[in-house]
Amino acid sequence: MAVNAVGRDIPSSIPGYKDDVVLFRGATKRLPKGNRYGKKNRTTFFTKTDKTLPNIKAAIRESGLQSGMTISFHHHLRNGDYVVNMVLDACAEMGIKDLVIFPTALFGVHKHLTKHIQKGVIRQIQGSVNGPIGQLASEGGMELPVVLRSHGGRPRAVISGDVKIDVAFIAAPTADKYGNLTGAYGQSACGSLGYAHTDADYAECVVAITDNLVEYPAPYIQIPQTQVDYVVQVDKIGDPAGIVSGTTRVTRDPMRLLIARYAAKLIESSPYFKEGISFQTGAGGISLAAAAYVRDAMRKKGIKGSFGLGGITSFFVDMLEEGLFRQLMDVQSFDLAAVESISRNAAHVEISADWYANPWNAGCMVNMLDTVVLGATEVDRDFNVNVNTESDGALLHGIGGHQDTASGAKLTIITTPLLRGRIPSVVDSVYTVTTPGEVVDAVVTEFGVAINPRRQDLMDAIKPSKDLPLVTIDELVEKAKKLAGDMAPIEHTDRIIGVIEYRDGSVIDVVRQIKKK
Amino acid sequence: MMALRRTMLYLPGNNPNMLMRGHLFKPDGVILDLEDSVSLGEKEAARTLVRETLKNVDFGECEVTVRINGLDTPFWKRDLEEVIPWGIDGIRVPKVETPQDVKLLDEAISEIENKHNLPEGKVQITCLLETALGIWNAYHIATASKRVTAICPGGEDLRADLKTSRSENSEELVSPRRMVVLAAHAAKVDPLDTVFADITDDEGLRRETQWVKQIGYQGKSVIHPNQIPIIHDVFTPTEKEIAQAQKIVQAAKEAAEKGLGAVSVDGKMVDRPVVKRAEYVLQRAGLLEGGE
Amino acid sequence: MKTAQAGTLESMDCLVTASAAERGKGIFITMEGANIARFRDSILKTAKATLQELGIKDVVLSIQFNGANDVVLKARVEAAARTLMGGEE
Repeated sequence: MAVNAVGRDIPSSIPGYKDDVVLFRGATKRLPKGNRYGKKNRTTFFTKTDKTLPNIKAAIRESGLQSGMTISFHHHLRNGDYVVNMVLDACAEMGIKDLVIFPTALFGVHKHLTKHIQKGVIRQIQGSVNGPIGQLASEGGMELPVVLRSHGGRPRAVISGDVKIDVAFIAAPTADKYGNLTGAYGQSACGSLGYAHTDADYAECVVAITDNLVEYPAPYIQIPQTQVDYVVQVDKIGDPAGIVSGTTRVTRDPMRLLIARYAAKLIESSPYFKEGISFQTGAGGISLAAAAYVRDAMRKKGIKGSFGLGGITSFFVDMLEEGLFRQLMDVQSFDLAAVESISRNAAHVEISADWYANPWNAGCMVNMLDTVVLGATEVDRDFNVNVNTESDGALLHGIGGHQDTASGAKLTIITTPLLRGRIPSVVDSVYTVTTPGEVVDAVVTEFGVAINPRRQDLMDAIKPSKDLPLVTIDELVEKAKKLAGDMAPIEHTDRIIGVIEYRDGSVIDVVRQIKKK
Repeated sequence: MMALRRTMLYLPGNNPNMLMRGHLFKPDGVILDLEDSVSLGEKEAARTLVRETLKNVDFGECEVTVRINGLDTPFWKRDLEEVIPWGIDGIRVPKVETPQDVKLLDEAISEIENKHNLPEGKVQITCLLETALGIWNAYHIATASKRVTAICPGGEDLRADLKTSRSENSEELVSPRRMVVLAAHAAKVDPLDTVFADITDDEGLRRETQWVKQIGYQGKSVIHPNQIPIIHDVFTPTEKEIAQAQKIVQAAKEAAEKGLGAVSVDGKMVDRPVVKRAEYVLQRAGLLEGGE
Repeated sequence: MKTAQAGTLESMDCLVTASAAERGKGIFITMEGANIARFRDSILKTAKATLQELGIKDVVLSIQFNGANDVVLKARVEAAARTLMGGEE
């Protein structure tokens, strides 16, 4: 056991993860070695002009998938996805087992996989877990630990060779017979295919699964034929209602709006609120409400932004069309407006996860970000953030882009109600660390705003007022304690059921098994 | 410093969420409600909850009042007994109709203040005038006791008493509102307007608030936190208004220093009432001490 | 009366049901709700202290918890217990 830079005890070897665990030493401490990993050379002779196969099982056979291998998926179909379940069902029927699945994220619809876990078809999940699968893993129902990586850390792991994908199954809303793929069209359109690019580049075998096979060549190609080995057409790759939402609306919940107002006021009072500002916002909740207030302030002051980043919704599309941004950098399209905009507007650019957030390349998007508003389950006195575990210690959320945007943004704002019900969100020490405090600049709650003392420049620039009440993080911790009263600690065993990697591949924390509910 | 009463947020007395957190939305005042938002079967539980809340919650800079049940109910006396000992700023009383109502309350409150060794006369009274008789007696009610510091016209109850219904621009409440605002200023108490019921209609709230401000109201009762920023915005002088007011007040100051009787701004003569209004604007904006 | 209730199942509240117990049976408290494991000890402490203040030695309490803090819990236990014991006026 050794202690890492955020004070967590990490064993030097974790079975099912690594024998030589790299400890987190700081946000800018780990340097890459060696070269990028590469897939085997291959050729497709001019005699073959059709890569389609009749069904998923045929593709699995052709791919050479064996028990024990690693398969990957993207999550652009979100809670409307059918592909992950279909592929695992096929594997199960074919007697393939002990698979490592490597999705960019899982959703409630994937609780279907529970039976495959219990039957041994799935041996390990390297990706986020939630719902019943998360609960199963938390209570010790999986043999090997879940390995969590951020949106930027995942491509880093693939590109550096830490994770070798044997077969990537890419859900493609539109495809042609030679393997050109796009997410912009089709009944299951999802817009950007940002998270699929790394898999297409590096997986040993790439299988595209589509429900909209079109004439060659497909329009608005996002993943080209040079990277795709096989194409399978199925009835439906997903349910549109679960893939994209209608128009994204700003919340009317008063408490969320209050916190959002404070966050927006913080941004407006910072040195970054000027011509050319860039920011990232979430798909809803406090983050989106804060963005709405910032947008109003931009209109009032006549400020035009440079780019909007991240998960793109109609809100950002409207800002682009209004001229409040010059470009949108889209790694994930959340609603219909974003899907429609991406192929129509040259200023709405699709970016891969590598481009978006990989810390091991010549420079990713988050490095250029001025400000981001993020959520948290918990924040502590050192400004460390936990987004992975819930108040009972269950591992129920992935990292998403949290570590990446927090590191890259010049002003990282964490918004959270001080308590959720009776559970404090601002605590002495977070149960598990997702994002280190050294990259977190401010915590905004309904009881006030705490600026990280590391940011003396911000503390000097910002004047407290009724619209921006400043407090210390210690005051927030004490207030939360007082309101919550006495609490018993989370009960857990020593067994590690989850590994939380930092975006540079080091281990920032581990998750331990909790008692069954 | 003139106490602002632009927004008074109702906190339903049986709702822990709002009782614990309502003040965080920074209304000028909170009203812990034992009356209309609490059903009959919940009256006892709400009273206990409100009492415990008053004992333990720090309301920051908000004025803290409790709306008790009406004098025509069996609850009002126990309501007073439970809440007054805990240092509230005032009570709000529904359906006040006569100065005798006020005197009855005044005595009951004094009794409790004495019993608990509290400074006598500190607890203020806001009277809700929800019947034609109450509106008619507005001035006499407002002057019936030193404790009365605000009067408010009713909404739905008043419409019922007037045997009319709600119209789009509340035509039926125009006269009652005007009567109350006159009586209030004549009695030197605050006129505070009634609630705006449609919590999704931001524009409608803004229009109504602008109108009641124009006829002399100092604030409004609020039933949803989202209404607060809008009402504050209407009652906050604009930068232009502040600049103009500063000019006028400065000119008046200079005239006084020079011993001149007439005040002149931008070459035009400015009357004393105009100067007074300018001072009032600056007080509202928090830039000038004073006020009643 | 045999049982009395105070509170609701709304966020930050709890629903307390107080039932009459035979003299000498003592205080019996059960509870359920979100995250109850972490607050069990604290809730028992507050409930018992409140009953003691009221001079109640025999009662059965059932608490459905939805994030109520000590202030709310005390108020609900008191209201339910008082109503059970005969209420006001």
